[in-house]
Amino acid sequence: MMDRLESLLQPDQVSTQEETRVAYSRDASRIQGECRAVVWPETVTDVVRLAQWAAETGIDLVPRGAGTGLCGGATPQNSVVVDSARLRQMDVLNIQLKQVVVEAGVPLDQLNMNLRSAGLFLPVIPGSHRSATIGGMIATNAAGLHAVRYGRMANWVENIIVVNGNGQVQCLAGSERSNSAGWEGITGMIVQATLRLTECPGKRSLTLLSFENLRIMLDQIDTLKTNPELSAMEYVNPNAAIMVGWAAKHTLLIEYHNSDGEIKDPEEISIIWRGRESLSARLTQAGYPVSEDPQIPPEAQEEILGWLFAQEIPVFGHLGVGILHPRFLPDDPRIPELYGRVSVAGGRINGEHGMGLKKRRWASEALKKDFHALKTQFDPHHVFNRGKLC
Amino acid sequence: MLIDLKENSICTECGLCREVCPVFQIYHQEEYSPRGRAILGTTGIQTLIYYQCTLCRTCRVVCPIGHDPSGETLRSGLIAVGVETPANQTMIANIRQYGNPFGLLAEGEIPKTLTCC
Repeated sequence: MMDRLESLLQPDQVSTQEETRVAYSRDASRIQGECRAVVWPETVTDVVRLAQWAAETGIDLVPRGAGTGLCGGATPQNSVVVDSARLRQMDVLNIQLKQVVVEAGVPLDQLNMNLRSAGLFLPVIPGSHRSATIGGMIATNAAGLHAVRYGRMANWVENIIVVNGNGQVQCLAGSERSNSAGWEGITGMIVQATLRLTECPGKRSLTLLSFENLRIMLDQIDTLKTNPELSAMEYVNPNAAIMVGWAAKHTLLIEYHNSDGEIKDPEEISIIWRGRESLSARLTQAGYPVSEDPQIPPEAQEEILGWLFAQEIPVFGHLGVGILHPRFLPDDPRIPELYGRVSVAGGRINGEHGMGLKKRRWASEALKKDFHALKTQFDPHHVFNRGKLC
Repeated sequence: MLIDLKENSICTECGLCREVCPVFQIYHQEEYSPRGRAILGTTGIQTLIYYQCTLCRTCRVVCPIGHDPSGETLRSGLIAVGVETPANQTMIANIRQYGNPFGLLAEGEIPKTLTCC
């Protein structure tokens, strides 16, 4: 079967070498799997051939962007990994419409760097923005640091070109986009998208607010959100703040796209953001490698954030949209307890990382029903990302 | 399913180093990225991929925890078990025999070939 796989593409587009299989056996979740082979499609036709091969052989394909996911969405399970790293064309920029057509493997930072001269950017900025690819961001419906102002990735996608499990190329536009965005590649591999853009902010400023009392901090949030130039509202709890050398207080990092913030020096702003963005890796290094991503409704934030603080669990995240990242040791029994509390409060257990392999045991009946309907429609042979999500 | 984190206790495998790596920009394959090499390094695999690193250390600059992927360490492990590229072997032989990495040179001759790792 692998011989046939190799015959589908050019020799340098397929590898069954041990080094390759090992390097692709896990993503940033560090959930380990087994990789049979890796392929690097260079055209949509390559992906079509791969989907047809997979449907015939019964071997599943795992689409992979930058491998920065934290739920094992790109971890193979005796699968062939389809790496989008060579799908990097940026085709058409329509400045009037503020749209750009890009292939799935384009990294976000590279896209935004290319757009800079036009004064435009894609404003969905996940913590992994240096490497994260457009395909991966659509598949997980990424949110990130500026979601309080710009929302999620699905808000910025005009249409998505996918290769489904039957090897058909489909353009999903309008309401059909939701059959791909946020579904973690289970309906097919995203190969291209037309993205909406917005103007780069002219000014930026920051304010850091520290609170001894959680309730007092939460009471400020609604007032802070009334500023139309608010562009980020990040929270760091006292247990996490001390990890980056900040005071052990409930801290809010508020960014504005004007001069309303107290800190206006671009270099100082950059240093503060670097400290915030290094939190994830530093908490991993400090012994808290497991990152969760509950989305907590405002009315439950005091109870759940208070519980996390009392448990001495480091937490940071995008409080402006209620998505938080408490950090744990592997198999910490407080993780299911947290998700129990979040579910009771009407929140989401997968705020922005997706379900992948890590959270499939918590999939709701409603999610399973939608999953099976989509699989029947787009991927009846379970070619793409088998075993993920549910 | 989660790996034993002691297996790769220094690199968090976040992957933020990929796009700044000049070697990854050529191959676009994970095993040639700093993260890929770090993962391979933890498995004990001795591979010539470790030579596919310019030692520029840009990955260390962007790494959120300042991890140095220690390309030299990975390479010294290769040397210890006798795994070298032909170019490296030629360079070392030239240095030993002629005192330079270029090989035999006539007086004033400009070297046409530089062999290195």
